[in-house]
Amino acid sequence: MTAGLFNMTIARITARALFGRRRFLLLLPLPALLVGLAVLADSLGARPADWVDPVIVGLGLGVVLPVVALVVGTGVLGSEMDDGTLAHILAKPLPRREIIFSKLVVAVLVTAVTVGVPLYAVGVLAGSSRLGVGLVVGATLGSVAYSALFVALSLLTRRPVLLGLIYVLVWEGLLTNLLTSTRVLSIQQYVLAVADRVAKSDLLTGNVSLAVSLAMAFIFAAGATLLAIDRLRSFSVVGETS
Amino acid sequence: MTVETNGVIHDIGYQRYTGPRLGRAYAVRSLYSHGLRTAFGLGRSAKAKVFPWIVVGLITLVAAVITAIRSQTGEVVVSYWEFPEGISLLVILFCAVVAPELVSRDLRGGVLPLYFSRPLTRWDYALAKYAALVSAVFLLLAGPQLLMFVGAAFSVEGMSAVWHEFGDFARGLSVTGVYAVTFAALAIVVASLAGRRAVAAALIVALFLVTTPIFGVLMGIAYSGSETGELTGQSLKLSQLAGLVSPMTLVSGVGRWWFATDNSVGPYGPLYGLVALAIVVVCVLLLLLRYRKVAR
Repeated sequence: MTAGLFNMTIARITARALFGRRRFLLLLPLPALLVGLAVLADSLGARPADWVDPVIVGLGLGVVLPVVALVVGTGVLGSEMDDGTLAHILAKPLPRREIIFSKLVVAVLVTAVTVGVPLYAVGVLAGSSRLGVGLVVGATLGSVAYSALFVALSLLTRRPVLLGLIYVLVWEGLLTNLLTSTRVLSIQQYVLAVADRVAKSDLLTGNVSLAVSLAMAFIFAAGATLLAIDRLRSFSVVGETS
Repeated sequence: MTVETNGVIHDIGYQRYTGPRLGRAYAVRSLYSHGLRTAFGLGRSAKAKVFPWIVVGLITLVAAVITAIRSQTGEVVVSYWEFPEGISLLVILFCAVVAPELVSRDLRGGVLPLYFSRPLTRWDYALAKYAALVSAVFLLLAGPQLLMFVGAAFSVEGMSAVWHEFGDFARGLSVTGVYAVTFAALAIVVASLAGRRAVAAALIVALFLVTTPIFGVLMGIAYSGSETGELTGQSLKLSQLAGLVSPMTLVSGVGRWWFATDNSVGPYGPLYGLVALAIVVVCVLLLLLRYRKVAR
């Protein structure tokens, strides 16, 4: 392990706190529904071209990936803020970046696995394993960007979930369909573009160029991570807002 | 060591309350009006106002744009009854903000025993909260529609045109009522299951959003059966029934049954109405069941 970047103990307690909470288990029906819908559509004899858009883009990349990333990303630090154990970690002689990186790695891994596995299954069902791999690569990129964003959000505001929902619903859901130029600032579009390029399938169509997607996803992830580290430096432990 | 013997109990003036007792109906009314004010953050800190008023602002903005386009070009972009359907994502967001605020806080704070030690019954509590959410969603949609109506009333010529416009506005309000009753019922049941506001909000959004792609899949299956894009026979039936699977498309199906001139719900309009009614009844029953035995 690189010294000062990743701390196994923090990662372990974060993962344990995450899986021990009921709210994470409440998320598991989402990936199951994703696979279930694809199997249902396939068994009823629909052409992949007719159900890929609502299932993979509409549900998988549009709802399941951001919502899982939101609950996990705001939970890795948020749960420690809620029960007050964050004070113990902050009191240890650890660099702030180590805390953020460790928690971020856990959030990214959990999100990528929870969303990537069902997406791969759906991709194989819809077309080829190439499509599945494309979706997994896209979902992993999305996990990195979304997790960094939502971890930063949980340090910036007392209501990170609502703010994250506004980003997902209003910005990515509504605005990018109305004003197409805002697509350049939507993580969902980067995921779609990368998945499209890797899968080389007619079933997906990216709207943003690959270079822009990769660059912007990197800016989102790096910027949010740096912001989170900076916020954690001057973090004060307070109770829930009224 | 001397023992104090000359201790006295002073009468410091404690008295029984002898004024009027306002009773159960007053408590329900208070809880309702307090809930409605909470929904928009009135009488609370600025932080509590941010999220509801973001949604109100966005919906008003949409209505203002529609009104402006209409007054400039004379073209009706979105009619009143289609308005709630167009912005249903924002309505869901509003439900996700307000429903946890109404019920989850009380669960988390453990204050329910305080409520139930008053003349207020458990069912009064649940129904007052539900009524407050219904009213809040209705106001959220009716306000911008009123703006659209006022804008239109000043741009049309003659009293009869204004009267005709008012008829359209009333249609819009009736569909808005269906949205308010249905969305509020689903949102408040989900919120009453989670003590944490953030979890409740995520669950509400997930409930509404994950069911919508099922509609997309069914439509995809319907269109798979046709080569030309024209739906006939079984596929047409499937496409007309597909909307029943998701709250969003179900409620918009009720609006289409009443006012649409196209064939998108076909002869199944009454079925949409019945299913919507059944959802509301089931949700209210579940809510009452939830509050039958709950302390926190």
